[in-house]
Amino acid sequence: MLQTADTTIALYDEAAAQASSEQPAQGLERIMLADDKLPVVLGVVLIVWIGVLTLLFRTDRRLARVERQLDERSA
Amino acid sequence: MRRSPGPMDRDLALPRYGLLYRLFGVAAAVWITVVLVLGFLGPVPNLPILEQSARNLYFHVPMWFVLYAGAIAGAWHAGRYLATGRTVHDVRSEAAWMVSTVAGVTALVTGVLWSRFTWYQGTGLWWSPEPRQNMVAVQLLISGAYFVLRGSLDRPRQRARLSAVYALFATATMPFLTYVLPRRMASLHPGAEGNPAFSQMDLAGDMRWVFYSAAVGFLMLGWWLYTQRVRAKVAELRAEALAPEAAPVSVVVSSS
Repeated sequence: MLQTADTTIALYDEAAAQASSEQPAQGLERIMLADDKLPVVLGVVLIVWIGVLTLLFRTDRRLARVERQLDERSA
Repeated sequence: MRRSPGPMDRDLALPRYGLLYRLFGVAAAVWITVVLVLGFLGPVPNLPILEQSARNLYFHVPMWFVLYAGAIAGAWHAGRYLATGRTVHDVRSEAAWMVSTVAGVTALVTGVLWSRFTWYQGTGLWWSPEPRQNMVAVQLLISGAYFVLRGSLDRPRQRARLSAVYALFATATMPFLTYVLPRRMASLHPGAEGNPAFSQMDLAGDMRWVFYSAAVGFLMLGWWLYTQRVRAKVAELRAEALAPEAAPVSVVVSSS
């Protein structure tokens, strides 16, 4: 939003060269570009958080399995 | 839960972590996810100096709550260990201290980062003379020494007894270093010079409920991490008791 796209971008990435801030944002872009693109940071943080949660739940499952095996062996 | 309750079972008895516990994990996961969304997108007053960094309130301050909650739990189980001699209390005390200390380091580091770009903007000052920051650094050295002490002792019962006593001493310094002394000194930090840290004036109404929710959410996460550490350690000790020939020599020698 601060600068128009650098023309050298076209050399590296044709798709990015099509980027435009001229037309009004629509759909998902209208949400993600609000508040100086703060929602993009939220998206990244949520993805990281989901990764952490996956590990937490997997550790829970592994602990439950080990506890079950120990219960069987000590019974 | 266990069909043959021997002395080992009572020494390491844990509650059953079943359906309720799994539901608690799901609740904590959803709760913090909602807090993250509200914390980023909810309204803040956007005052000078703080600006959008006011949102740090939702993430920096709950770390202090986890620090205190973990220290109180650690001291409680240290006392219970000294009273009962049951290994499970030593395991719980260490796990609570670990969660507490990690939250404390996180709180200190986030505070350093936050103040660097607000109160000390333009000074280039990373380590500021802020009294609370310095006192908390001292407290974390005291807390961290708990793990050095544990690491230096080989015999399990001696390690458990000495670290329980140390945990009680380390908790006793905490209110003075992090609560009383910073309030007796001049500081920009909320809660200085006798002011309460969370007065009606200090917290915008829009932020109040997100902040309370964040505190609850991170306490839930802290308890979750604590129980995982307890369960893993208890499982390790039970496995050692079932197969003593596979255990480290020091454990076998000291089980007199």
